[in-house]
Amino acid sequence: MADETILNGLHPAKLRTITDSMRDDPNVLKDVSGPWKSRVVWQGGFRAKAYMRKHVIEMDEPEGLDATDAAASAHEQLLSAMGSCLTVGFVLNATKRGVRIHDLEVALEGNFENILKWAGHSADGNPGYSAVKAKLFVRADADEKTLQELWRLAVEGSPVTQTIARPTRIITEFEKV
Amino acid sequence: MAQTKLFPVTVVGSWTRQPWLVAALRQRQAGEISAAEFDAVADDAVLAAIKYQEDAGVDIVADGEMRRDNFYSFVVEKLGGMRLMKLSQLMDYVKDRAGFEEILRALDVPAFAIKSPIAVEKIREREGLCVGEAKFLKEHTKRATKIPIPGPYLLTRSSWFEGLSDKAYPTREDLARDVVQILRREIVRLKELGIDFIQLDEPSLSQVVYGDEAEQTFMCAALGSRTDPTHELEFAVRLMNETVDGIDGVHFGVHVCRGNWSRKENVLLAGNYGPLLPWLMRMNVHQLVLEMATPRAGEIEVFKEYRNEKELGLGVSNPRTDEIEAPAEIVKRVKEILRYFDPDKIYLNPDCGFGTFAERCVNTSPVAFHKLQAIAEAAEMLRKECG
Repeated sequence: MADETILNGLHPAKLRTITDSMRDDPNVLKDVSGPWKSRVVWQGGFRAKAYMRKHVIEMDEPEGLDATDAAASAHEQLLSAMGSCLTVGFVLNATKRGVRIHDLEVALEGNFENILKWAGHSADGNPGYSAVKAKLFVRADADEKTLQELWRLAVEGSPVTQTIARPTRIITEFEKV
Repeated sequence: MAQTKLFPVTVVGSWTRQPWLVAALRQRQAGEISAAEFDAVADDAVLAAIKYQEDAGVDIVADGEMRRDNFYSFVVEKLGGMRLMKLSQLMDYVKDRAGFEEILRALDVPAFAIKSPIAVEKIREREGLCVGEAKFLKEHTKRATKIPIPGPYLLTRSSWFEGLSDKAYPTREDLARDVVQILRREIVRLKELGIDFIQLDEPSLSQVVYGDEAEQTFMCAALGSRTDPTHELEFAVRLMNETVDGIDGVHFGVHVCRGNWSRKENVLLAGNYGPLLPWLMRMNVHQLVLEMATPRAGEIEVFKEYRNEKELGLGVSNPRTDEIEAPAEIVKRVKEILRYFDPDKIYLNPDCGFGTFAERCVNTSPVAFHKLQAIAEAAEMLRKECG
């Protein structure tokens, strides 16, 4: 275990202070809890841009769908969001514990359960992923048991993963302008 | 090379690595220990590799490539202008990312585990590529010696990457000219040190013939781009012949295999040597060191029209299994190949190394030792029959 001012490109002491303040200070907890926001603007065809704070992500669909494949699709970006969230969780927990990470990758994949519902040919079933597989590859200065525990903490503590894993209430609204 | 007996037993190169050696290698790569400190650790590992080979009855021994990260990426430490890059770092430059992703998933490996030396500037020699290995090997064995070095096609193909190399070398051919000159100087140095057998590793030729049509892949160390197969094979023959041209007094072999990173046979390339042999036979080397111990190597009848044209380093043991091949079975296999080669044209070796990649060794030292012992026993049986 390393005891360093900077570890994995982060500051272990600062991270501990931040996560402690989320527990101890209701205002910090409120700020971190949200609301988190995204605005998605149609760009023509199947293309869209998502604006989040000062950031922009583009989305499209594969060419096979009469799209231009100019960017990854939303369902691929969902997998990426989950993988990124798992990465953040793993790195957070590793860094707080002083574990140096050399390399880390998460490989994700999923299959749609009934994409015919998206296509308008079926009224039943789940058009979304029936399951999502996420495999962590990691090279770090800790034994396998420690790394497995960090992975468990990352999975169980991942906001994106747990949103996908649980029945999340979706509130939709509509306005004709 | 003065061959004193029939069916000399040798290795393809790499030996298995102990965790303490891999840990020291990582420390050296991270700059936490010096090259001298690493060499002190690696010396012990090389001595063990030599002892295993000698005890098993190997006639032409290698140092086990114990100082190398893998059979070709080690050149990064020996040449200026090269950078060892992970596939995860190269993804921004890869043309067919989706294709690479499919291969990664088929192999079930992370992108950070695939590394290649990339020419990012004009390459220049800092020290000999394998001179240190060769000196130590010569000092610690009385047997004949083999040094495997990356072949010119492998080194050119794996090191030239569009977007990274083209500032220093607009084309692969430009890089190849420097690679050939560096390898020629290295071969002369190894010869002067008294190395008996220099094996030029060209595994990416397999990908040209047996791989898919992808322009870029990382199978068989073929990370860089390729053109059509005929052009690639012509290019490989020309580079090999320019590399060895006019150098006498040392035995040359070319090693080709179809992947040695996994025990899963289905992820390794397959097919007989028929499509490769016309080009391999035009290479001005004495011996072809070929994987022949698995069904993936295909029919031996393909050698019929090349009877005795070259020596054959016959792969008679699969380095990726726990089972020890029975000497009688090895003898049987050799007798099949004797239909196309005279006894004095046959060397015996495993299909490939036991630790091509330091972190992905395919076997343990005891199993590797017993496999070599079985080959040596088979060689004795054959000498009695054919001598």
